[in-house]
Amino acid sequence: MPDSGAGRLVLLILAAVFAFLYVPIAVLVGLSFNASGLPTAWTGFSTRWYAALLQNGEILGAARNTLIVAAASTAIATLLGTALAVGVELRRRRSRGIEALIFAPMIIPDIVLAIALLSFFSLLRIPMGLHTIVMAHVVFNLAFVCAVVRARLKSFDWSIVEASSDLGASLVTTWVRVVLPVIAPAIVAGALLAFTLSVDEFIIAFFTAGAGRASITLPMQVYAMIRFGVTPEINALATLVMGASLVALALAQRLNRRTLGA
Amino acid sequence: MRPVVEIEGVVRRFGSVTAVDGVSLAIAEGAFFALLGASGSGKTTLLRMLAGFEMPDAGRILLDGADITRTPPNRRPVNLMFQSYALFPHMTVAQNVAYGLEMERRPRAEIRARVAEMLETVQLLPLAGRRPDQLSGGQRQRVALARALVKRPRVLLLDEPLGALDAKLRGQMQLELKRLQHEVGITFIVVTHDQDEALVMADRIAILRAGRLEQVGTPREVYESPATRYAADFIGQMNFLPGHALPGGLRLPDGGLVRVAGEGPVQGEAVAAVRPERIRLGPGENTLTGTVRALAYHGLDLQLQVETPAAAEPVTLRLTAGEAETAPGIGERVTLGWAARDTRIFPA
Ligand SMILES: Nc1ncnc2c1ncn2[C@@H]1O[C@H](COP(=O)(O)OP(=O)(O)OP(=O)(O)O)[C@@H](O)[C@H]1O
Ligand SMILES: [Mg+2]
Repeated sequence: MPDSGAGRLVLLILAAVFAFLYVPIAVLVGLSFNASGLPTAWTGFSTRWYAALLQNGEILGAARNTLIVAAASTAIATLLGTALAVGVELRRRRSRGIEALIFAPMIIPDIVLAIALLSFFSLLRIPMGLHTIVMAHVVFNLAFVCAVVRARLKSFDWSIVEASSDLGASLVTTWVRVVLPVIAPAIVAGALLAFTLSVDEFIIAFFTAGAGRASITLPMQVYAMIRFGVTPEINALATLVMGASLVALALAQRLNRRTLGA
Repeated sequence: MRPVVEIEGVVRRFGSVTAVDGVSLAIAEGAFFALLGASGSGKTTLLRMLAGFEMPDAGRILLDGADITRTPPNRRPVNLMFQSYALFPHMTVAQNVAYGLEMERRPRAEIRARVAEMLETVQLLPLAGRRPDQLSGGQRQRVALARALVKRPRVLLLDEPLGALDAKLRGQMQLELKRLQHEVGITFIVVTHDQDEALVMADRIAILRAGRLEQVGTPREVYESPATRYAADFIGQMNFLPGHALPGGLRLPDGGLVRVAGEGPVQGEAVAAVRPERIRLGPGENTLTGTVRALAYHGLDLQLQVETPAAAEPVTLRLTAGEAETAPGIGERVTLGWAARDTRIFPA
């Protein structure tokens, strides 16, 4: 079949789709190593834009903010999301209403969430800054962590909890030594997912950051820079962020596969 | 001597279902006690009440004379081997077995020694470093057993311990469990719905039916002298001949008389019951004639199905290998005989 006309056509379409998806990214990565500052000419391989990036105080400050927001919102969302997943799973009577409430932040458009959070913070007269971005990111990260952990709990064998208690363990010991270790890969996978989502989140951060440069995150910094055209520095930055995200996602997927396969 | 376990009038309801309905039992020290019953008869529920995972709605459970009805599972000197084994998937075989001893805060050296000894007993020492998903079904079963036994409980509860094994391994493990129980001297209470298994392993059997006890006795007692028609039907094979009870016997619909020794109803609708292996070819105290309808060879014995005018169901008898040499063929007329003392009578 692969030699037939139809087979070749399918391969061609497939190649075109992949090209459409990945050629722009490849170009971006390539240009980040271009010695010339112009996107129109290749003048040789160079890492000068990466060096320039590391000299740029504004970018480094934004990167620091992003890491703070991602780390803090991931930590809080992982704790609350795991507790929520377990709590919902342990409930005897399933309620569709609660399910919908938990997963809504994943589906509601970011712009709606952004406006809602902005109005909420202004209404309560909460001064905005990094802490409000963290709170805002917790809102959607919580839903994602909860979803990943619940997927694992669906196949969790609760009889091992009874076995632990039967063997003399208290409730706390059972959680620490049996339940958490068994669902740990799913918790870590959820946390990694939350972290990556938080790192490149723009709209919500933009709306809840408040005025001033102090709480600018990396996506906001890129947005600010890009208004004066795409500089090779931005290409280098994008390449770095993409690399880090890919590593995190690959890690999350491997952990998740291991939990589901167990 | 005082029994280890005393169950007094225990009741457990789930909504409108009464899973266990007023069960009272005394289980002696060192017994191998089987709870036998059909699916849904309340075996697991009763066992879970002994382990502490279910609270009775009424009644008491005593262990060595002390009331443990409200004691949580982790404070009972009783261990349960789960039907699904419930091994900890993230721990090795040795860690699984050590867990219960760590909960008792035993010294490390003692834990190591007892785990090794236990694994030796169940022949799992070479697999001590493996995880449960790297074991076969039979090996997992032995890990579950070792994990519960290593704590040296007063009573070990086993829920369908051999349920997940294939027929051949089951047969081996039945004898293995019995040997192990003898070796460790711990009281075993085992749940099963397999009557052969109960007969082979247990020294006492309780038959449960819809949450109530039907009969309690030794394997020989429940097999030879079933207390009720249900028990007679549930354990082993049984021929039932419906008819009309009279003093000393039962009148069959064709006018024939079945003589019965022992007590039973003396009037009204009734059934006479006789085991297939108690019936011989040739006349006896009770005699029926009929035509051979089917033969089934089982290796050790030959089963004959004989159609008689006395009953709608064919009568089954079992001939030993020796007798089978001269067995009648299909369609031949035969005379069947058996003794009055091998016959029981139950209300219909
Ligand atoms: N947690 C529960 N909630 C509601 N009903 C239950 C519960 N546990 C048991 N039952 C009911 O109680 C009855 C006895 O159940 P149990 O599990 O004790 O039976 P069993 O003898 O162990 O059966 P099997 O041989 O199928 O395991 C059944 O009718 C069952 O549906
Ligand atoms: Mg059961």
